[in-house]
Amino acid sequence: MIDPRGPRLAAWITTFVLAAVVLSHSGVLLLAQALVFVLGTRGRSPYALLFRRLVRPRLGPPAELEPEAPTRFAQLVGAVFAGIGVVGLATGLTWLGLAATVAALAAAFLNAAFGFCLGCQLYLLVKQATTPATTPATTKGATT
Amino acid sequence: MLLLAATLVVASALGLLWRWRQGRVRVVAGGRSLLPDLARVGAQPGERATLLQFSSAFCAPCRATRRVLAEVAAVVPGVRHVEVDAEAHLDLVRDLGVLSTPTTLVLDAAGHVTRRAVGQPRPAEVYAALGHALP
Repeated sequence: MIDPRGPRLAAWITTFVLAAVVLSHSGVLLLAQALVFVLGTRGRSPYALLFRRLVRPRLGPPAELEPEAPTRFAQLVGAVFAGIGVVGLATGLTWLGLAATVAALAAAFLNAAFGFCLGCQLYLLVKQATTPATTPATTKGATT
Repeated sequence: MLLLAATLVVASALGLLWRWRQGRVRVVAGGRSLLPDLARVGAQPGERATLLQFSSAFCAPCRATRRVLAEVAAVVPGVRHVEVDAEAHLDLVRDLGVLSTPTTLVLDAAGHVTRRAVGQPRPAEVYAALGHALP
C-alpha cells in the first residue's frame, strides 16, 4: 500500500515532461520518460523516490493508502505509448511520435488534475470482452 | 505549441465533463427483481432497500464508494449495503449493463432497481435516491 500523493506528484512531473516533448519534439527526452515508466512498472520510479525523499517528509500523514498494482499498471500503459512515441520520433514519423506523446500526456494530465482512474473505466470492459459468457447455472460465485 | 494547448484544453474539457457526470444518480424504471440474483451470490437484501455496489480491483473510487454506502446503510434502518466483485460475476454485470466500476444500483424492498449511479456518489444523492426507493 502506498501514499496516493506519490503517484499524483509523479503524474504532474510526467505531464510537464511530456508537454516539453510535444514542444521540442525531443526523442531523447521521451526516451528518458519511457525509461522512467519502465522503472515504475517495477516499483522503482525516480519520481516516487523524489516524492519519498524530498516531498513526503514535509507533509502530514496520508488520509488513506492505496494499492500499488494499479499505479504500476498505469506505468506499463505509459511505457507502451512512450515507446511507440520514441520509435516515431526516431524514425522521422513525427506525426506518430507526437500522437503517442499526446495520448500519454492527456492520460497523465487527467490523472494529475482530475484524479481520473483510467483503469477503472477500461478494466471491466476488457474483462467483459475477453471472458466468454456462461449460463447462469455455472456462474462463478454461485452459492449452494 | 498549438498542439500542446489543444491537447490540454481538450483533456481539461473531458476531465470536467467526467467530473460532472461522476456519481450522478439516474432514475431507472421497469426491470425485473434482482432478489434471485442476490440470493445466488449469497447476499442478503435490505428489508426496505438495498444499495448494490459493483466493484473491481484497480479501483480507488470503489473504496470511497464503499465508505459512503456503508455509512448510509448504517444510518438508515432497513437498508443494507451489498458489494459485489464485478469480475467474479460477469454474467450479472453483462445482464445489468454495468460498464464500469463503481456502479451502484438502488433496489427497493422488492428488489427492483429504482436508481443507478456510475462513479462515486455523494452521500446527499444516496439519501435522496433512498427517499424514492423507500415506501
